[in-house]
Amino acid sequence: MLGAAAVALWPSKQAGHFRIVALVTLLIEALLAVFLFLNFDNQDFAHQMAETTDWITLPIGSLGIVSIDYALAVDGISFPLVLLAVIVLLAGVVSSWEISQKTRAYFSLYLLLTGSVIGCFLAQDFFLFYLFFEFMLLPMYFLIGLWGGPRREYAALKFFIYTFFGSLLILIVMIGLYLSVIDPLETARVVGIMGMEDAIHPDLIPQIQQWLIDGKIAPEQIVHTFRFQYLADPGNYLPGSLLHLASQYFVGDIPLRLLAFWFLFIGFAVKLPVFPVHTWLPDAHVEAPTPISVVLAGILLKIGGYGFIRIVDGFFPLEAQHSAIPLAILGMISIVYGGFNALGQTDLKKMIAYSSVSHMGFVLLGIAAFTAEGLNGAIYQMVSHGILSAMLFLLAGVVYDRTHDRNIDHYRGLISVMPQYTIITGIAFFASLGLPGFSGFVGEIFTLMGAFQSDALPAWIPALSTLGIVLAAAYFLWTYQRMFFGSFWYKNGDSSVLTDLTVREKTLLIPLAILTVLLGILPGILFNMTGPTIEAWLRGLNH
Amino acid sequence: MPDSAYFLPAALLLGIPFLTFFFLWLGGKSLNTAAGYLGTAATISGLLISFWYADPATLHIVKFNWLVIGNKVIELSFRFDRLTCIMLAIVHFVAALVQIYSVSYMHGDKNVHRYYAFLQLFLFSMVGIVVAGSLLVMYMFWELVGLSSYLLIGFWYFKKRTVWAAQKAFVLNRIGDAAFLTGILMLFYYTGSTDFEVIPGKLWELSPGLVTAIGLCLFGGCMGKSAQFPLSGWLPDAMEGPTPVSALIHAATMVAAGIFLLARISFMLTFEARLVILAIGTITMLTGAVKAINEWDIKRVLAYSTMSQLGLMVVAVGFGSWQTAMFHLATHAFFKAGLFLSAGSVIHAVTPSEENTAFDPQNMRSMGGLKKSLPITFLCFSICAAALAGLPFFSGFLSKDAIITEGFLWAEEVGPLAYIFLLIVVFSAGLTAYYMTRQVWLVFFGEKRYSGTQSVHPHESPATMWIPMVLLAALSLFIWFSFNPFNASGWFLHFLDPTESAHLFWVPILATGTTILFIFLAYRQISGPNPFGIGSAETKVNFLEKININWLRDYSQDRYFIVPFAAIAGYFKKLEARAIDSLVEFVAKGSVVTAHVISWVDRNVVDGGVNLTVYTIRSAGNAARGLQNGKIQSYYLVTITGVFLLVLWLFFA
Repeated sequence: MLGAAAVALWPSKQAGHFRIVALVTLLIEALLAVFLFLNFDNQDFAHQMAETTDWITLPIGSLGIVSIDYALAVDGISFPLVLLAVIVLLAGVVSSWEISQKTRAYFSLYLLLTGSVIGCFLAQDFFLFYLFFEFMLLPMYFLIGLWGGPRREYAALKFFIYTFFGSLLILIVMIGLYLSVIDPLETARVVGIMGMEDAIHPDLIPQIQQWLIDGKIAPEQIVHTFRFQYLADPGNYLPGSLLHLASQYFVGDIPLRLLAFWFLFIGFAVKLPVFPVHTWLPDAHVEAPTPISVVLAGILLKIGGYGFIRIVDGFFPLEAQHSAIPLAILGMISIVYGGFNALGQTDLKKMIAYSSVSHMGFVLLGIAAFTAEGLNGAIYQMVSHGILSAMLFLLAGVVYDRTHDRNIDHYRGLISVMPQYTIITGIAFFASLGLPGFSGFVGEIFTLMGAFQSDALPAWIPALSTLGIVLAAAYFLWTYQRMFFGSFWYKNGDSSVLTDLTVREKTLLIPLAILTVLLGILPGILFNMTGPTIEAWLRGLNH
Repeated sequence: MPDSAYFLPAALLLGIPFLTFFFLWLGGKSLNTAAGYLGTAATISGLLISFWYADPATLHIVKFNWLVIGNKVIELSFRFDRLTCIMLAIVHFVAALVQIYSVSYMHGDKNVHRYYAFLQLFLFSMVGIVVAGSLLVMYMFWELVGLSSYLLIGFWYFKKRTVWAAQKAFVLNRIGDAAFLTGILMLFYYTGSTDFEVIPGKLWELSPGLVTAIGLCLFGGCMGKSAQFPLSGWLPDAMEGPTPVSALIHAATMVAAGIFLLARISFMLTFEARLVILAIGTITMLTGAVKAINEWDIKRVLAYSTMSQLGLMVVAVGFGSWQTAMFHLATHAFFKAGLFLSAGSVIHAVTPSEENTAFDPQNMRSMGGLKKSLPITFLCFSICAAALAGLPFFSGFLSKDAIITEGFLWAEEVGPLAYIFLLIVVFSAGLTAYYMTRQVWLVFFGEKRYSGTQSVHPHESPATMWIPMVLLAALSLFIWFSFNPFNASGWFLHFLDPTESAHLFWVPILATGTTILFIFLAYRQISGPNPFGIGSAETKVNFLEKININWLRDYSQDRYFIVPFAAIAGYFKKLEARAIDSLVEFVAKGSVVTAHVISWVDRNVVDGGVNLTVYTIRSAGNAARGLQNGKIQSYYLVTITGVFLLVLWLFFA
C-alpha cells in the first residue's frame, strides 16, 4: 500500500519545482506512515496491512514453477524502521533545498531511492526485497558520484563495488533458497487438493509438507517461492535440496547451509557496516552531499541490520546461534575499532562516520545475542542511531555549507558566534554518547543487556564492548571542546560567513532532538511495537 | 512495600529542580538577577519537603513499570529510608547555602541564569541518585550528574583549560561508569533485577567469586565519581570551575555519591572485594595527602585533601563499616564545603580590581597575613580546617576516630598484616593536620605577600557570602554529631544503625597525639627561616621529585589515559589507511591488471578466430559505458520503463 503509493509517484516528475514535488511526495508518505502508526496493532504480531499480488508465475519444466509475489506488509520488526525511513527521508528532502544543479535528476533519483528504501522494509518476498535492495544502489551511486565532493567518483565507485559485492553473495544464497523451498498453498492448487478459490484449511500446509517428504509430488508440480513466510518454515524445504535443514551438501568441510549463512552475513555486513568491510563508509560519507549522508547513515545502514534479523536470523536461525561468538566478536571489534578511529579523525564527517561504525557494532552485538533483549535492543539502537546520525550529519552540513571546510582543527570557540548551533550540537553529541534520557542510552544498554543474557556468549565480549561508551564520550567531547569552546578563531580568515542556524535548519533539527528525548524517556513506544513480534518469533523458533 | 503516599514527595523532589532548570535555562539572560533567589527557593522547598516526609524508621518504595521487553519487566523504583533521609538533608542544605553564597560570588557574570540552571540540573540528578531504588535508576542519574558536573566545571567555556578539565572529568568518570554498567548488567543476568530489595534475596544463589566480581565492577563507578586511584586525576583539575561549584559538587555531594553507592551495595561486597577496595582507598588517601603538602594553589590543596578524605571513606567501607564511612561523609560535607566557600571568599578578596594576568589570585605564594582584613573568613576557615585536621571538639575528630576504631576491630579479626593499613590511615591523618596547618599559615599569617601588587585590596565578603560560611563552620563542631566530644558513637551513628556501637578509649588519644605531632612539625617549618619553601623559586625540586616517584606525579596527568588512547587511535587510523584500505586497493588494482592481461591475451592469442565474440563484447562494453558516462537519463529511462510496466501489470493483471 505504502510502497505502491511511492511507486506510483515516481514518474510524476514534470518540469517545474522538483523539490516541491519531492517534498509533497514525502509528506504524503509521512501521512500514510502516521495513518499506519495509528492503525498498527501492537499485540498482533502477524503481518499487518498486507498487500499481495501474484507477480510472475512461470512453469519451467522439470524445475517446477517459478512464483514471485508482489507482497508488501509490515510487522513489529519492519514497522519502526519504516517510520524511521520516512522521518529521515523527509529530513533529507528539506535539507536538499539548497541543491542547485541538475535538480530534476537529483530529486527524481532521490524519490527513486525513497521508494526502494521503503520497499525494502515492506517487501515480504525475497525476490522483491532483493530487487529493491539493488535498486537502491544506483540512485545512491549517482547521488554521491554527481553531487558529491572532490573525490566523489572514487567514493561512489568504492561504495558501489563494496555493496555490489555484498549483494552478489546475497543473490547466490537467494537462488539456493529458491531452489529448496516450495510454496505449499500454490503447490496445493497445482496438485489439485485445493481449488483456486477455496479458503485455506489449517491442516493443508502440514499435509502438503508430508506429501513432500513422501515424495508424492512430481517435480513439475512444485511451485518454488521467495516468500519470507515460507522461507522461514523448515517444513517447506524440499527433502534433499541444497539448503534443507538436514542438507548433506558440503563445500570442503563446511556444510552448505553454514556457507550460505556466512554469504548472507557478509552481504549484509557490508551494508551495516561491520569491521573489516566498513571502509567504504567514511569515504562515501565524506564525499556525499549532506542530505545523502543523512539518508545513508540514517536509513541505508539499517537495511543491513534489518536484513540480518529478517533474513539471516530468520532463515538460518540455527547457524546464527551456532555462530554467535564470532558474530559478537565482530560486533565488539566494530564498536571498539570504530571508536578509536573516530578519536583519531580530524575531519568532522569522518569522525561521525566512524562513530556510526561503532554504534552499528552494538546492533550486531544485540543480534548475535539472539535474545529478546538483544534483538529488541538492536532494532531500538537502529532507530535511535538513525535519528541521531541524521542529526549529526545535518549539523556537520551546517558548518560545511557556510565554509566548505570540515576540519575540526580549523575552528575554535564557535559558541560565541553560533550559540544555538552549539546547544543543538551539544544535545546531539550527548545523546549519541549514550547519556540517559536520550535514545542512545536505551539502545546501548539493551543490546549490551541482551549480550549478557545470551547463554551463547561469554561475558567478556559485552564487558569489553562497554569500552565503546568510554570512547564515545572521548571522541564526542574532544570534538566539542576543539570546535566550540575557547575564544573564537577560524583558520581561513573570513568568519562573517559563520552565522547561526537558519529557520530551515532549526525546523529540521529541533524535531529530531525532541524525538530522541521522547524515545529516551519513553522507550516503550518502540518496544511495545517490536516486543510481541520478536517474542512470537523466538517462541516459534524454540518449537 | 510499594507506597503510593510517597509518590508525591518523589515527584516533587525530582520535579522542582528539573522544572527550575528548564525555566532558568530557557528563560535567558533576563532572569540573571532573579535566578539566584529562584534557585535558592527551589532548593529550600526541597529541603522542607525532605524534612516533612522524613520517616527514617520505615522503608517507602515508589515504583512503576518503565517498559516490558520479552518476559522481563523493567521497573523504575525509588526508595526512602534512613540513608535517603540523611543524604537528602545534606544535599539540599549544602546546595541551599552554596546558592545563597553564589548570589554575591557570581554577581556580574553574564550567564548567571545558566549557572543556576545547571546547579538545579545537578540537584535533580543528585536527588535522583539518592532516592534511586535500583542500580539501573541510580546509573541513569549517575550519568546525568556527570553531565551537570561537565557543564558546571566548564561554565567559563571561553577558557581553554576549563573546558579541557570538564572533558577530562567526564571521560575519566566514563571509564568508571563502563565498569559500573558491566556490573549492573551482570546483576541483571544473574539475579534478574537490580532492585535493592530484590538482590539480597537472590545473592546467595551465586558463587562467591561472582559476587566479588560484580561488587568490584560496581566499585568501578565509585572509583570514577569519588576520584579513587587511578581515576582520580580529574578532581584537582575540576577546580577550574567556579569555587561554589567546587564546594557543592567536588567536596560535599557529587564525589560523595561513590561512597553512597558503596553504602547501598555494602551487603554484596565480599571480603575479597573489600580488600581490593581497602587497597585502592589507601593508595588514594596517601597520594592525596602527599600531593596536598606540595601544592600552592589554594583550591587544589583542598581538592587533594578531598581526594584523600574520600580515600579514607573508601577505607572505612573496606573495613566493613559503611556506617562510619557515611558518618565521615556527613561531617566532611559540611567542613569541606565550609573550607571551599571560605577559600572562595579569600580568592574573591585578593582578586585584583583591574586586569592583571601576572597575578594569580589562587596562588598561596601571593597571600599571607590576611587574618586582619578577613576576620570572619579566617575564623570559618580555621574551624573547618581544625575539623578536617581532626582536632578534638570538632566533627572530623569524631568521624575519623570512628573509622580508626573500626579499623582496629577489623585488624584484630584479620591478623597482624592488617595493621599496615591502620598505620597508613593514622599517618595520613597526621599529614592532613600538617598540610592544613601549612595552608592556614600561608593564607592568613605571616607577611602580606600580595602587597607588591597595587590593585589588590583585600576586604571582607558581603553577608550573603559569610553567613553560609558561618553556618557550615558551626556545623563542624562536635555537638551536632555526638554529645560526648571524645566518643564517636553518638546519636548520628546510632541513627544510621542502632546496633553499631563500638568505642575504644585509647583511639582518641592516639589520633590526637598524631595530629599534635604533625602540627608541631608544621610549626617547626613556620618558625624556620624558609617556611614550606616559600622563599624558594617556584621551580624548586620538591621532595617527591627528589625521590623520583614519577608515576605518583603523573598518574593524574594525561600520560596514563590520554596518551595511550591517542596512540591507539592514531595507530588504528594508520592501520585503516595502510592495511585494510590498501588491501582492497590492491585487490581492485589486481583485478584491473588481470583484466588487462586477459584482454592482452585476448587480443594477441585468441584474436583471429573469435572476432565476432570480441565485437559483441565491445559493443556490450560500449553500451555499459554509456550508462556510466553520467547519462542518468538513459539509465533512468530504463528504470522508469520497468516501473511503468510493473504498475501497468499491477493494475491490469
